[in-house]
Amino acid sequence: MISDITLGQFFPGFSTVHRLDPRTKILLATAFIVCVFLANNAVSFLLLTLFTLWLIPTAHISFSVIAKSIKPLIVILIFTSILNIFMTKGASDPLVSFWVLEIYTEGLVRALFMSVRVIILIIGTSLFLTYTTSPISLTDGLESLLHPLTYLHVPVHIFSMMMSIALRFIPTLVEETEKIMNAQKSRGADFSSGGLIRRAKALIPLIVPLFASAFKRAEELATAMECRCYRVDKKRTKLVKLTFHARDVLWMLLLVLLLGVVIALRILPNHVSSDALWYRILFYSI
Amino acid sequence: MNKIEIKQVSFVYSKGTPFEKKALDGVDVAFEAGMITGLIGHTGSGKSTLVNLLNGLYKPTEGQVFLDGCDIWEHPKEIAKVRFRVGLVMQYPEYQLFDDTVRSDIGFAPRNLGLPKEEIDRRVAEAARFTGIDDELLDKSPFELSGGQKRRVAIAGVLAMDPEVLVLDEPAAGLDPRGRREILGGLSLYAREKGKTVILVSHSMEDMAFYCDRVVVMDHAHVFRCGTTEQIFSDPEALTDIGLDVPEVAAIATRLCKAGVPLQGPLYTVEQVYEALRRVKEGRV
Repeated sequence: MISDITLGQFFPGFSTVHRLDPRTKILLATAFIVCVFLANNAVSFLLLTLFTLWLIPTAHISFSVIAKSIKPLIVILIFTSILNIFMTKGASDPLVSFWVLEIYTEGLVRALFMSVRVIILIIGTSLFLTYTTSPISLTDGLESLLHPLTYLHVPVHIFSMMMSIALRFIPTLVEETEKIMNAQKSRGADFSSGGLIRRAKALIPLIVPLFASAFKRAEELATAMECRCYRVDKKRTKLVKLTFHARDVLWMLLLVLLLGVVIALRILPNHVSSDALWYRILFYSI
Repeated sequence: MNKIEIKQVSFVYSKGTPFEKKALDGVDVAFEAGMITGLIGHTGSGKSTLVNLLNGLYKPTEGQVFLDGCDIWEHPKEIAKVRFRVGLVMQYPEYQLFDDTVRSDIGFAPRNLGLPKEEIDRRVAEAARFTGIDDELLDKSPFELSGGQKRRVAIAGVLAMDPEVLVLDEPAAGLDPRGRREILGGLSLYAREKGKTVILVSHSMEDMAFYCDRVVVMDHAHVFRCGTTEQIFSDPEALTDIGLDVPEVAAIATRLCKAGVPLQGPLYTVEQVYEALRRVKEGRV
């Protein structure tokens, strides 16, 4: 079923991560992304992987949910790994070579690093943002973080309202799609066989009602907002004021530390972060 | 004879996630051929889930669904054939309309069946007749119609498949009393005339009492009671215990009986209670 998609879904809960301020979580996620992209050696990746593995139970998210969210990526990962393995040329002799294909240690390492990078990137950002933060508080946090831009006459409030409406209606639209799909299947519609053109044509009975109802919904929502005197140019007060707590500071320090270590490992002299050394340790130990 | 039989069926939504929810739990129920069977129960009692299992939109987590004695999931690739034999009208079906004209929207299912043009036209005309759609509406866009008319077109779109079994999930929800009578009346006429098996989900006990031969009562993912309409409504306390209503006239009759009026026979439609009261009165006079 379509509604079983886990990527980008919020799991309500009361873990430490859940209770962090949404602004903190946005900053943490950003710092984490920077860490993942700065990491260029085995130690950094090991560190980040351990951090991610520790984060999963800390956020009270089950490993099966994580596994499910990674599943759709597997095909892409395998494909790019194969490309990386065969296309990378190394300095030393190839490990294996047959016909025109040659596999170098560098290729293997690069494929491994790339896969780890993508996987922990997805898991880490989902854990900080979508899994543990409700869409509403996420947009609240974003609005608050972007607030300084209002001095440059950027309509931050309008953007955040549009974003929260869009986020709010994703599950509704998914549900609606499933409902319409089932109704048309009950009338013998076939969405899953035939060639490309046939399949595209088969989508018409799905897309037309979906658009019709989306427009109707938008109009109703606009009317409802106007009935409650919503005005874009008026300042609105918040029901829940965002406040930073001690735990927010602690988590930020933790991520700053992580970022520091990753940067240090990147610029430290060769003999510590020497990639060749770590490749050897990594591969002989496996 | 049983047209559809459900054996030990369980259904779990979002299995293996934190949102897991058991909507049906070991349900055994049978729907008799040529009968109109009502399906009642609270919101969330599993009615709609059950309905979606009947034509193979959902696959049971456990258990089997039999159509004419054959397991519908025996050949999963041929489940589309089952959907043509068991016509399902969903709740608020007007959102499924999509085509340029009412005529071609009703003809969507027959076209999917691959029927010749004359047969499609014949079926569209017949379906329009039973659902009370005027000829002049057939060439309009379905998006121009009123809510009640859209509902009729959506139901006609399923009737046009000429299914052996017709499953209707609250076909009259949100309609005014007249639209209600017309739609349900047309459907029951269709069923009786063509000898179809009908399963009718409804919240209205009056509709159940008036249109249905048999009633299945669902409660908390289980079948609570099933039997003839008379059997089900002869025990109003059982229904009120699980928080359902009985037809208003049945409630009045029950109170009259308790007050010592010796009413006899089935007492769940206005006519029956009227007759019973008349007999009591004549007996006394």
